[in-house]
Amino acid sequence: MIVVFYIASGVAILSTFLVILQSNAVHALLYAILSLLSVAIVFFSLGAPLVAALEVIVYAGAIMVLFVFVVMVLNLGPGAEGQERVWLQPRTWTGPVILTLVLIGELIYIFLARPGLALGGPAIGPQEVSLALYGPYLLGVELASILLLAGLVGAYHLGREPSD
Amino acid sequence: MTSADILSLLPLLVVATTGVVVMLAAAFYRNHRLSLILTLAGLLTAFISLPFVSPLTPRQVTSLVLVDGYALFYMGLIFAAGFIVALLTYGYLEQWDGNPEELYVLLLLATLGAAVLVGSSHFASFFLGLETLSVALYAMIAYNRSLRRGIEAGIKYLVLAGVTAAFLLFGMALVYAETGTLAFSGVIAAAGGGPSLQLMVGLGMLIVGVGFKLGVVPFHMWTPDVYQGAPAPVTGLLASMSKGAMFALLLRYFTPVMALERQGLVWVFTAVAVLSMLGGNILALTQDNVKRILAYSSIAHLGYLLVAFLASGPAGQLAVAFYLVAYFATTLSAFGVVTVLSTPDDEAESLRAYQGLYYRRPWLAIIFTIALLSLAGIPPTAGLVGKIFIAAAGVQASLWLLLIVLVLASVIGVFYYMRIVITMFRRPEADVVQPSMVRLPRAASVVLGALSVILVGLGIYPVPVMRIIERTVARLV
Repeated sequence: MIVVFYIASGVAILSTFLVILQSNAVHALLYAILSLLSVAIVFFSLGAPLVAALEVIVYAGAIMVLFVFVVMVLNLGPGAEGQERVWLQPRTWTGPVILTLVLIGELIYIFLARPGLALGGPAIGPQEVSLALYGPYLLGVELASILLLAGLVGAYHLGREPSD
Repeated sequence: MTSADILSLLPLLVVATTGVVVMLAAAFYRNHRLSLILTLAGLLTAFISLPFVSPLTPRQVTSLVLVDGYALFYMGLIFAAGFIVALLTYGYLEQWDGNPEELYVLLLLATLGAAVLVGSSHFASFFLGLETLSVALYAMIAYNRSLRRGIEAGIKYLVLAGVTAAFLLFGMALVYAETGTLAFSGVIAAAGGGPSLQLMVGLGMLIVGVGFKLGVVPFHMWTPDVYQGAPAPVTGLLASMSKGAMFALLLRYFTPVMALERQGLVWVFTAVAVLSMLGGNILALTQDNVKRILAYSSIAHLGYLLVAFLASGPAGQLAVAFYLVAYFATTLSAFGVVTVLSTPDDEAESLRAYQGLYYRRPWLAIIFTIALLSLAGIPPTAGLVGKIFIAAAGVQASLWLLLIVLVLASVIGVFYYMRIVITMFRRPEADVVQPSMVRLPRAASVVLGALSVILVGLGIYPVPVMRIIERTVARLV
């Protein structure tokens, strides 16, 4: 499991570094998704399968797909098709694909070899997480909702169309 | 959670509910005055509830929040600051053509975040409170979207707060890895053990994060730009509430760690205090922009507060509490004057805008003078009494180096505060463009008058506030 942890964290650092090196937003997003997926594997290897699943569903799934869609919708227009063809050069997708293959390899290894316990003690399942969240951390959950409300109101104000 | 637990969280619950109510009210019926009245009513109720909660304290509500006299005292200060900023904002945004209601929602949420911060006893509530405060502040700083400078300041604060959060989280993770607990009390107990590299690096990262939030040298670079770009009442909030809440937390949890810990932390904070006092005051000398001058002055004042923090003990606690009261009143009064002279699209920030203010608006000039005298620490104002308390605490702890720097820095400070005062009393030149002469907002005038009375009152007779501080804050020591 320790090898899985180090490879996944290496991929996470490398892909995050590549995010900021890309000049094209969509290419950067590809690496951002990869970075989130590898962080999910890091969480899994540390014994937090629920957090790993949430990382994939919420971040890599929902938020990043939303990003990709917004970027693509913004780029629609005449000539977008030609633009897309230019973007799909092999050199733009080989990098992410190689890193993805590394992650897939890790995943296959985890499923087939079932390498022992997670690092740092037993894995924490959904039940334990829920009991902690709605027991001692109840106030934290409520505070997080207030934090999101602040973000929501702020984003609404800053992103709204001008009234005039 | 028992009913007594919920009751002791009443001030926080009231502020949170008010935030939601103001938001819902704005969703169905946009009205600036209604938003203001709801906000004021909520903050006033929360403030009034504090003495009723007080008999229940000290009470640990889950492992996250500790409601005690200390937390209640600083919550009161924070609610009062929110109340004053709300009143100042009303006059400021009255003529503006954008939507003003969201600012009150954000103000309430920021107030809640700051109140949670001073009541937190656990890394989770510390971080959540801090983030609530910061996220609300990003949007408030960039509130006027038509100004490039405001957006720039908002993004600067966003990036810096992100970096701060990263430092804090990594520090917390390292401390957790070493001590195995996220509760402050557990961390303090574990810090008493043998020295370990991991714990020291973790604490160091926490100090960096806290230092960024406080804007002390060498983490101060963002302060002038953000203060200048933010709307004037938000700047007042940033200078008072955000820094005050963070400082209250620092005082509460780093003092025991420092008492146990090695000399290293003391030297770090001593260096930061000396650099802040000298750096803030010297950098302010070359500025021609009132908001930037006040920004550098706030850096210096945090340095003075660190002297009292390093003095620790009951005298230090007392000095910090009194100085923060004086500093809140002074800063809000100074930024209040800037606010009433500004409009969202035209901030009165250059020193020229204040030339001959005494001949146009005598009362405003006098109020600003009182605030500046208090910042400089000249009698008969609260700022002087605060500095005396800090000096007394420093003498008790025999921090001679810090005291010498404190005196030197205060002398330098007098120069630039007096420069503003002299500018206001100088006859205006004929060619100076006068800022538009709108009617002063009534609510803001009353607030500013009251703040000046408080500043002078505390300077002459500080006993009542001292009694309150002794009964709440110092009870812990």
